[in-house]
Amino acid sequence: MEATADLLLQGEKAKIAGLEDGQFSQKLAEMGCVPGTEIIRLYQSSRGSCIAYRIDTYLLGLRKEEARMIKVVPFVPDPLPENTV
Amino acid sequence: MKATRSFSMVGNPNCGKSNLFNRLTGLTQKISNLPGTTVEACSGSFSIDKEKYSIQDLPGIYSLFTKTEDERLVVEHLIGKGANKPDAILFVIDASNLRRNLLLFSQVAELGIPTACVLTMEDTAIRRGIEITLPELEMALGVPCVFFNPRKEKNTDTVRAILKKPRTPKLFGSTTDLLNRLLLYSKGKTVAGLSEETLRRYIDIEKIIKQTTLKHPVGVKSLTLKIDRWVTHKIGGYAIFGMIMMALFQGVFSLATKPMEWITNCFHWISGGIEDILPAGMVSNFITHGLLGGLEGVLVFVPQIFILFFLIGLLEDTGYMVRASFITDRLMQKVGLNGRSIIPMVGGFACAIPSIMATRNIKSKSERLATMLIIPLMSCSARLPVYVLLVSVAIPFKQFWGPFHAQSLVITSAYMSGITLALLLALAFRLFKRKQTQSEFILELPTYQKPRLQTVFHQAWLKCVSFISEAGKVIIVISMILWFLSNFGPSESMKRAKDEGYILSQLDSNHASEICTNLRLEASYAGHLGKFMEPAIEPLGYDWKTGIALITSFAAREVFVGTMATLFQSDKDKPSGIIEKMQAEKNPSTGKPIYGLPYALSLIIFYAFALQCMSTMAVIKRETASWKWPIVLFFAYGLIAYLGAYFVYQLSTLIP
Repeated sequence: MEATADLLLQGEKAKIAGLEDGQFSQKLAEMGCVPGTEIIRLYQSSRGSCIAYRIDTYLLGLRKEEARMIKVVPFVPDPLPENTV
Repeated sequence: MKATRSFSMVGNPNCGKSNLFNRLTGLTQKISNLPGTTVEACSGSFSIDKEKYSIQDLPGIYSLFTKTEDERLVVEHLIGKGANKPDAILFVIDASNLRRNLLLFSQVAELGIPTACVLTMEDTAIRRGIEITLPELEMALGVPCVFFNPRKEKNTDTVRAILKKPRTPKLFGSTTDLLNRLLLYSKGKTVAGLSEETLRRYIDIEKIIKQTTLKHPVGVKSLTLKIDRWVTHKIGGYAIFGMIMMALFQGVFSLATKPMEWITNCFHWISGGIEDILPAGMVSNFITHGLLGGLEGVLVFVPQIFILFFLIGLLEDTGYMVRASFITDRLMQKVGLNGRSIIPMVGGFACAIPSIMATRNIKSKSERLATMLIIPLMSCSARLPVYVLLVSVAIPFKQFWGPFHAQSLVITSAYMSGITLALLLALAFRLFKRKQTQSEFILELPTYQKPRLQTVFHQAWLKCVSFISEAGKVIIVISMILWFLSNFGPSESMKRAKDEGYILSQLDSNHASEICTNLRLEASYAGHLGKFMEPAIEPLGYDWKTGIALITSFAAREVFVGTMATLFQSDKDKPSGIIEKMQAEKNPSTGKPIYGLPYALSLIIFYAFALQCMSTMAVIKRETASWKWPIVLFFAYGLIAYLGAYFVYQLSTLIP
């Protein structure tokens, strides 16, 4: 199954693998959600309707539906080929 | 001296652009619209080697391809659609966010405008383990670059030095015929392959970053995250938001008391002086009662308005308001709004006009429209004077209802009824408009920063000055008309009033002048006008004087106070003359005070709901590009206000 950013646990770190095609993808890309970028889930508003992530070096608030558009893979510290954890 | 070259500042939001602007221009800045558009931008000037340069601080943008109104107008300015293309660009880069900032740079580079580049937040970048080598970056971008920390450094010589020689930037990798595509995009056409283009740009940027920066690993811990844990807490976050709002209004009332007294005293001193200098008669009467009375009614509220603008400015400047959007988005979405709506809605408590313009960064059309339409229901600072006057007349200051201070309770309820109606209407609007445009909430949460007191103070001051000059113009005209209407009348009835007054004052010599004034006013044109509309407003508990004030306050709500002051011709010897005079008015048939509690409550509700502000209507017309909404709102809110006031009056007269 493909993981998306909304499924990350609080504090979990991952790497952006790509963006789902859709109306948010252009805006997300402009805001720096591009493949290879580090993403960490930080905190959320009540019932998780909005989620805050650290993308690279800054904080980004997204709705859950928007976070679902971000495909992620597990974070691997070294630039080695991605292994399964 | 004419400016030799015009600069426009371009950069991401929160990159420190405005700070740099302040350092460069000092006190030369003013708020004005971008030429040919309605985007507000700060402009100012600075000089290098005795040559003058003009500079404009544009709103921050993330990309040239943008759908929100405000950003689109910035782009149009840069591509010269508004006729005034800048000669050069001062591009501001947040060094701690190099990658995303370079995306915008790569697009702007293709416009071919000479550019100079300032990198801010070097300290944050170093803390995050990012080290940028400037010569390499200059080489890669093809423009002069300099580090500058506008928060700490005062001397802008290094910045001026590079502004002397801006250069056309190098292009990143492949060119993409950007200008034509931007023109297409700004006409609302879909441009294919935008996401791919953005990704391609990032690949080029990644190469530049590899060449120019060193990355040292550091841990992720920051004060911002600690604060955010509290202010976005699922229960605590709302509690904090509520407390901040309460503190805001408490602050507005308590901090403004003293300055308001000073202004009142000042006016009494001036009008006293004028009465001493000028001979008693028409001219002196007109200046002291007509003009100064009306002006005082408005100027006395400038401290409150200033404090409100200042405090809201502080909240925005620290970065807190974005968190408020974050936690309220869910609720806002339920009523068809957007988390982003909260900022203009809170701003609506200060003034609807800038707030309606601030809705431009809401992308979804229907959410933006809904936000715009309910902003006039947020009790703005112009309503405050009306509320304060009415509660002071109707409720003794020391009265408590249970544990509540009666006056504050009434004013708070006025604000709450406005908010409640706003949310209900937004919901109705959502149900009514079944077809939804796509909603979006992708929002950068900026790092908290210490508020820049000086900047916020200056901005609040500029807004107050424009409030004073706008309101001042209207009030001077209206006071003149009103003074004429209330001092002249059909000659027959004026003569009758004079005779009657003469007889009555013989009988009761203690109140002779008051009786005469009242009779004259009733016989005047204003009296006739008021009497004419009295049947329509009587069910709400208003008399004909209130009727006149209602008409005049359609220009702007705060005129109500000035009008009442002119109509009652407050005595200069008694500072609170108008309140006492209103309290003294008794209904001849029942003996009860005319301006009692039912009257006050009914009128407060009327003011809370009705759209009595020409400027608000004009700005809604401009933003929606049609007269439809202002007219619909005018009648709809007018009807709701009338019915609301009617029920409140009828119910509260039942209470003994």
